[in-house]
Amino acid sequence: MFIGTEKLTHTYMPGTPFSTEALQDVSFNFQKGEFALILGPSGSGKSTLIQHLNGLLRPTSGQVIFDGAIVGSNKRELLHLRRRIGLVFQIPEEQFFSESVYDEVAFAPRNLGLDEKVVAERVEEALQKVGMQVNTVKSWHPFRLSAGQKRLVAIAAVLSLKPEVLIFDEPSVGLDPAGKKNIFNLLKDLNQKDGLTIIISTHHLDEAAVLADRVLVLKQGRLVMFGSADYIFAQRKRLNELGLALPQVTEIMHSLVEKGLPVSTEVYTLEQAKSEIKNIKRRN
Amino acid sequence: MSRSITLGQYLPGESLIHRLNPRLKILTLVLILILLFSLERFGALTAYLGFALFLFAVAKVPFRYLLRGLRPILFIALFALIIYFFFSKGGVVLFRIGIFTVESEGVKEGLFIVTRLAALVLFSLLVTLTTTPLSLTHGMSYLLKPLRYLGLPTEEVAMIMSVALRFIPTLMEESQRLMRAQLARGADFETGSIFRKAGNLVPLIVPLFVSAFRRADELALAMEARGYRIGAKRTRMYEDIIFPRDWVVLAFVLALLLISFTMDL
Repeated sequence: MFIGTEKLTHTYMPGTPFSTEALQDVSFNFQKGEFALILGPSGSGKSTLIQHLNGLLRPTSGQVIFDGAIVGSNKRELLHLRRRIGLVFQIPEEQFFSESVYDEVAFAPRNLGLDEKVVAERVEEALQKVGMQVNTVKSWHPFRLSAGQKRLVAIAAVLSLKPEVLIFDEPSVGLDPAGKKNIFNLLKDLNQKDGLTIIISTHHLDEAAVLADRVLVLKQGRLVMFGSADYIFAQRKRLNELGLALPQVTEIMHSLVEKGLPVSTEVYTLEQAKSEIKNIKRRN
Repeated sequence: MSRSITLGQYLPGESLIHRLNPRLKILTLVLILILLFSLERFGALTAYLGFALFLFAVAKVPFRYLLRGLRPILFIALFALIIYFFFSKGGVVLFRIGIFTVESEGVKEGLFIVTRLAALVLFSLLVTLTTTPLSLTHGMSYLLKPLRYLGLPTEEVAMIMSVALRFIPTLMEESQRLMRAQLARGADFETGSIFRKAGNLVPLIVPLFVSAFRRADELALAMEARGYRIGAKRTRMYEDIIFPRDWVVLAFVLALLLISFTMDL
């Protein structure tokens, strides 16, 4: 078990009339190097769950496990944990506060107390990973970037921690199709080239579906499905009942099957759909 | 960081006190507060303290909220007790410490002041615990309406208050989210000197201001798009209806006040 939880329960504002159970008895584990999805409708506890994974929230009961050890409550331990597990919040560009892209990306390594020379290397490397040249962008004002560029800089600002695990909360929300594509190419590279473990929380299956190794489904704070991506995506009806849909193209392929066209339904991108339909045409 | 973001002090409930009309509730509170200030007899005051406790029971407010509400006045109460015990003279000498004497009148007056203070706080606490902040603002703005004739923009002030109240939880939530986001980037909000700590808040305050201004801009636009104009006559979605029970309660309290006032004389 690389990263996961054991009977994790979290209650917000316990002991008051406002007390709510956000998570109940959630147990799962992801492997090192995996590309994992945490899927669930709004309010299912996804954000609460991922904030436990890097120690921002503490369990009411149960445990969080990382790299074979139970995550303790010791401050130094938590700091160490946050260094190894990067968390990119929803719409991360809302955290910007610096006057230059450089300072924004350098915030995390500087917090680690690194030498300014090492910080410069980290910034250059992180910006390069998201496809930016440090010399071009370093003095730009982060608030003046385009939406897609802002998102990339925000991701670089976490990458500069050099984490082993990168967790994203709705990484592509609010971006145009080109921006989305950019983000998913980046995620793919980070996972496949750099060997980072990637965990994505989302309520909406899209391009991430094709990258996913394993999927965990939450509903009202409980784990309802957990397994390989193919296994989960094959249960379209169950997902629909939970208020979740497969990627739009996949849903279309399912409709084609219902109409009597023998296409494969393990299709998650437009390109795959195109070639699959062409194949069918050729065969007939 | 405090986990319990309660807006104001409101505790949801279904009791008669919760459901009373906010305007009349505030008015009644004001009347009771005036009376508490004018009462001269210890007996009457303790009766009102008991009455406040009884109302807390009716409103089903847990006891610890009551204690929490009294905590802020603990210091003032102790201070008042000491001052009165040692410096207010009259009656029999109870005991002496060095050159100081504690006399019976002083003890009586000290206890009287503390009881009055406790009663004042408890009645006010009862109202804030059982009324949503929004109803409180509406009620206040209604009661302040006569000031309109003095040229005060009471409707607009009420609007400012309600918008401010409406966005307190939103901004609290946002600052919490931002704090976590910056913590995830290795920020430290707890250690260091006070100046260091203040400097560490920049990554929190800048984004918070940016988003607050953006929200304000959007809200103003949305309000204008729906026809909000300064000085225009407005109606409410939730009409502030006064039910017969509200009149009954008001009449009951008025009668009580009159009786205790005449008995106190």
